[in-house]
Amino acid sequence: MKRHIRSYFQFLVAVTLLFSSCAYHPDVPDSSKETNCLPAIFPDYCNVTVPCNIAPLNFMLPAGEYSECVARITTPDGKLLTYGAGVKVQIPEDEWREILIAAKGKSIKVEVWGKTTGAEHGNEKSEWLSFSPFEIHVAEEPIDEYLSYRLIEPSYVAWNFMEIAQRNITSFEETQIFNNKMTSIDREKGQCINCHSYQNYKTDNMLFHVRISNAGTVIVNDGKVSKVNLKRDYTISSGVYPAWHPTAKLIAFSTDKTRQGFHTLNPNKIEVYDMESDLILYDVATDSVMVVCNDSTLLEVYPTWSPDGKYLYYCKSVPLPEELRDKDIRSYYQKIQYNIYRRTFDLATRGFGEEELVYDAASHDMSATLPRISPDGHYLLFAQGHYGCFHIWHREADIVCMPLDDETPSDIDLTKLNSDGFPDSYPSWSSNGHWIMCASRRDDNNYSRVYFSYFHNGKAEKAFLLPQEDPEHHTFLLKSYNRPEFMVEPVHISVDEFSRVFQ
Amino acid sequence: MEKMNKTSKLSDIILYVSLVAFFSFVVYALYINQEVFYTAHDRSEFFYGATFLHSLMSKPFGLMQYVGAWLTLLFCKPAFGSVVMMLVWILIGWVGTKAFRLKGTAVALMLLPIACLLTSVVDLGYWIYIYPPKGYWFSQSVAYLLMLLLLWVARATPRRWHLAWYLLALCAYPVLGWFALLFVISLALTEKPSWRELLALFLLCFTASTWRTLLYSNLKSDEVLFAGFPRFITPLDSCDRLSLPFWVLGVVTVLIPLCSKYLTKWFVPVLCAAVGVIFTLSLMFRDQNYLKEMRMVRYAYDDNWKEVLNMAAENPRPTTTMVFLKNIALMNEGGLLDCSFKSGNISFPVYNPDTIHVGFLEISSPLAYYNYGMTNEAVRLNFENAIQKGFSPLYLKMLARCALAKEDDKLVERYTTILRHCPFYADWQPAPVSEKVKELQASYPDELTGVENSDSYLVNSISLWYKTDSKLASEQALFYAMISCDSHRFWPSLRNYLMKHIDEDFPVHAQEAYILFIDKFPEEKRMMIPVEETVYNRYKQFCETLARLVKPGKTIGTVAGEMGGEWGDTYWYYYYFGRQYSNIAERKDNEVQS
Repeated sequence: MKRHIRSYFQFLVAVTLLFSSCAYHPDVPDSSKETNCLPAIFPDYCNVTVPCNIAPLNFMLPAGEYSECVARITTPDGKLLTYGAGVKVQIPEDEWREILIAAKGKSIKVEVWGKTTGAEHGNEKSEWLSFSPFEIHVAEEPIDEYLSYRLIEPSYVAWNFMEIAQRNITSFEETQIFNNKMTSIDREKGQCINCHSYQNYKTDNMLFHVRISNAGTVIVNDGKVSKVNLKRDYTISSGVYPAWHPTAKLIAFSTDKTRQGFHTLNPNKIEVYDMESDLILYDVATDSVMVVCNDSTLLEVYPTWSPDGKYLYYCKSVPLPEELRDKDIRSYYQKIQYNIYRRTFDLATRGFGEEELVYDAASHDMSATLPRISPDGHYLLFAQGHYGCFHIWHREADIVCMPLDDETPSDIDLTKLNSDGFPDSYPSWSSNGHWIMCASRRDDNNYSRVYFSYFHNGKAEKAFLLPQEDPEHHTFLLKSYNRPEFMVEPVHISVDEFSRVFQ
Repeated sequence: MEKMNKTSKLSDIILYVSLVAFFSFVVYALYINQEVFYTAHDRSEFFYGATFLHSLMSKPFGLMQYVGAWLTLLFCKPAFGSVVMMLVWILIGWVGTKAFRLKGTAVALMLLPIACLLTSVVDLGYWIYIYPPKGYWFSQSVAYLLMLLLLWVARATPRRWHLAWYLLALCAYPVLGWFALLFVISLALTEKPSWRELLALFLLCFTASTWRTLLYSNLKSDEVLFAGFPRFITPLDSCDRLSLPFWVLGVVTVLIPLCSKYLTKWFVPVLCAAVGVIFTLSLMFRDQNYLKEMRMVRYAYDDNWKEVLNMAAENPRPTTTMVFLKNIALMNEGGLLDCSFKSGNISFPVYNPDTIHVGFLEISSPLAYYNYGMTNEAVRLNFENAIQKGFSPLYLKMLARCALAKEDDKLVERYTTILRHCPFYADWQPAPVSEKVKELQASYPDELTGVENSDSYLVNSISLWYKTDSKLASEQALFYAMISCDSHRFWPSLRNYLMKHIDEDFPVHAQEAYILFIDKFPEEKRMMIPVEETVYNRYKQFCETLARLVKPGKTIGTVAGEMGGEWGDTYWYYYYFGRQYSNIAERKDNEVQS
C-alpha cells in the first residue's frame, strides 16, 4: 500500500514537472475561414522590428469576440511552433530565445487563427478565422537590458502607494527600486518619490527625489547612498528635473515652482505648468550648487547633456507679451511655448558659453520639451505639442527627431512611432542609439505605457508596446508608466538599503 | 444514573437552544446589515488575475486578502454573500470543536470566536467609506478557519510531530499572517509544556523579523509584524475600537484550550450565547440614516430616481448626500423648483461616534458630479477616492460611465473588461448616458480649476451657469443660486431661466425666492414678474411670524424649531434657517488656488 502511495506521488511530481517545463503547443485548426486582414491582436506586434534580446511578445485576441487563439511561428530556418491557450498566446522564454537567435537580422512569420464566440459576429455558431500572416523583424542590435519607471495612477492630486520599479526587458522580471511607504514619517501628508535618473545608463551613479515627508534627493555616488538637500537661498526650489553629466560627477537640474490645474471640460483633463523655473548645476563631490540660468521673466527647464558632455541642452520659454505678465497664469497658459537651446560647457572651468537656439518651435506655433541627444550625437529627440511643458497630457503631442549636423535640418519622419491623436512624450535613446523609447497614452488616452521603436539610418520603425508575460496585464494595471529610463544594468541597492539614509 | 442522564439531556437541550438562539441573532444581524454588505462589495477592491494577486502577495497575509476580496464580491447579492459567510462561521464552529476537542456544553465556547467575527463586519460604521483593509470582510474568517483546520490536523498527529507543525506554521506566516502565530500558541497551550513548546514560542518571537529579512525587506517593520491583523489607520485618523474584536478573538482562541475542561456546566451555552450577543450588540453600528443613505446611494447609482425620491420623502433629517441625491432625482423626474424645498434642503451631520471625517466626497460626490454633467471632475474624484481606497466595482462602474460620457471607448472597454471578471458582473454594461447628462456636459465652458471637491464647489459652480443656452442648465443655475442665497447670481439666473422657459408656469420656489430677494434687496436691478397672490400673502404671514418670534435671548435654533412646522416647506425658511453655502463667492477665490 505504502509503495502504491509513493509511486502515485512520484507520478504526480513527474507530471507537474512535465507540465511546468513544457509549453502547450496546440494544433492549428483543420479548416478555417480566411479573412484578408491582420489579426486585431493586443498588443499590436504586426510587422514590427524588435531587438534580438526582447522578452517574448505575448499577445491576445479580444476576449469578447474570440474564445480561442492559435498562433504559428515560422522561423527563418523553417521551424514551426504553435502557441495558444484561450485567447492568449504566451511563448515560453526559453523557446522564444531560440526563435530570436534563429531570426537575428531576419524575420519570423506569424500566422494567427481565432475562434469566434459566435454571438459577437452575428452567427449562431462559432468558427475559426484565419488572418493574414504578419512578420516580426528581429534587428541585430540589442536593446538595453533594463528599464526603470515610476508606477503611479494617472496624476490628479491624491496618491497613495507609489513605486519606482525596474524591469528586465529581456525577461518579465520586475523589481522595486524604492517605494514611498518605507520612509514616510508623516501619515497626513504622505510621501512622493520621483525623477529617477542615471549617469550614462549605469546605476552606480544615480538619483531620485523624495518629497514632502522625509524629503531630499537620494544620490548614489559610486554605489554609496546619501540624501542631500539641494535647496539653497538663491534657488527657487530644490532640484527637480535632473540630468547627469556623462563623465563628471555633476548634475544639471531645473528648479521649478510647478502647479497643476484641472480642466472642467477639455479632454486633456490636466494641465501642469511652471510658475517659475531656472537651471542649476550640482557638484556631487562638493555638495555645491551653481546657477546656470535664472532669468526671472522666462522659464528654463528640462536640461540634458550632449553625450560628450560639452553642451547642455535645455528648454526655455518664449517671452510673453507685457500685458500678460501680471495675470493669472491659468488665463494664458496656452500661450506659453518653449524652444530648445544649448550652451557650451567647459568641464575644467565649470563655465557655460553663450546661449544658442537649437530648435525654434515657437516659430511653428509649437512648444518643444524634453530634449535628448542620441548617443552618437547626431540626432535631437524631443516632445512637441501646441503649448506648455507637460505634453503627456496633450493629445496632439508627438515625438520629433531632427538631425543636429545638417545646416538646414528637417524633421525625420516619425509617423510610425507616434500615435494619432494621443499624447506621446518623454522620449529617450537606448545606449546604442538604435531604440527610441517613449511614454504614450495611445491605448486609451489615460494610462501611459512604454513604447519602443527601432531607429536605423535615420528611419524609425513601427512602435511596439513593452511586452508582458500576461498580455492582459496592461488592461488590469490601472497605473501609468512614468518617466521610463533605459539602464544597461539593474540597480543593485535594495529598498531597505535606500531607506537607511533616511534614518 | 437516571439523574445524570436527565441532567445530560437538559444540558443538551440548553446547548441546542443556545445555539439556535445565537445563530438566530447572527441571521438577524446579517439581515439588518444587508445594505452595508452591498456597500462592502461595491467598495471592496478585487481584480482578477496575476497583477492584483502579486500586489497583495508582496505583503504577508496577501493570499488570504485575495481570497477575502473575491468572496466579498459575493455581497453583490447580499443574501447570498451572507449565507456564504454564515457557512464559513458554521464550519468554524464545527472545526473548532474538533480542533479544541470540545465536548458537551463546552461546544458553545465556539460561539465566542464567531461573535467576534460577526462583530467585525457589523461595527465599521462610516469606516466602510474610508479604509477597510483589502478583503477585510472574509479574509479573517477564512484564515481563522484554516488555522483551526491546521490545529485539528496537528492535534491528530503524535506529539513528537508537533515540532514539525510549529515550524510549518511559522513557515506559513506569509499566508496566514497573525493566525500562524495564533496557531502556534494554541497548539503549544493544548499540551503540557516541553522543550518543543518552549522552542516554538521562542521562534515565534523572531518570525516577523525573519520573514521581513527574507521576503519583505521593502515593507515597514510594522506591516510585517501585524501581518493581516486589521488596524484602522488612515493618514488622518485611527481607531482602536475596530481592532477590538480581533484582540478578543485572539485571546478567546488562546483561552479555549486552557478553560474548556472547566466549562462544562449546563449554563455555559447560555452564558456564551449571551456574551456573544451582548458583545456584538455593544459594538454594532446602528443608525437608520446610515443605512438609508446607503440605500439611496445604491438607487442613485442605478438611476432609480423614483426610489430616491421615495426615500427622501420619508426622511426628516437628511444628510448632505441625501439632499444632493434628492435634487438630482428631482432634476431627472421633474419638479425641482416646485418640490425641492418642500422636501427639505437643510442637511444634518451624519451620526459618527469616531473622529473620522466622512462626507459627501467619500459617499457620493463623483455620482453627483457625473449627473450634473461635470464629467472631468467626476473622473478626478473617482480616481482620488479609488487611489486611496482601491479600484472597487463602485469606482470602476462610475469610471466606465464617465468614459462613456466622454466618448473614450477604449477606456470604457478597459473598465468593463476588468469588471466582467468579477462574480455577477459577467454581462455588465455601463448605463447609456442620459440626455440630461449630455445636455449639461455641453452647457458650460472649459476652465482650469484647482483642487475642488466639496459640496460647496458644486453649488458654486452650478450657480455660475447663468449664461447657459441650455434649458436644463438654466434651471440648475437658478436653483443653486437660490441654495447659495446669492442675490447677485439669482437675478441673472432668473432672467436666463425665464427666457428659456417662456410660456411655462413660474415655479413656486422660484416665486418665493423672487419675492424674498425683491423685498430684501430692493436696490438691486430686478424685473417685474407676476406672482401668485397666495404665495405673496404667505410671505407676508411668514415675515409677521418671524418678527413676532424673534426676540432678544432666543437662539436661531429655537425660532427655527417654532417655525419649522408651518414654514419648513418654503424657500424663505431655508434662507433664514438653513443656508449652508452662502458667502461662497469669497471662499471660491481661495479654493481655486492650485
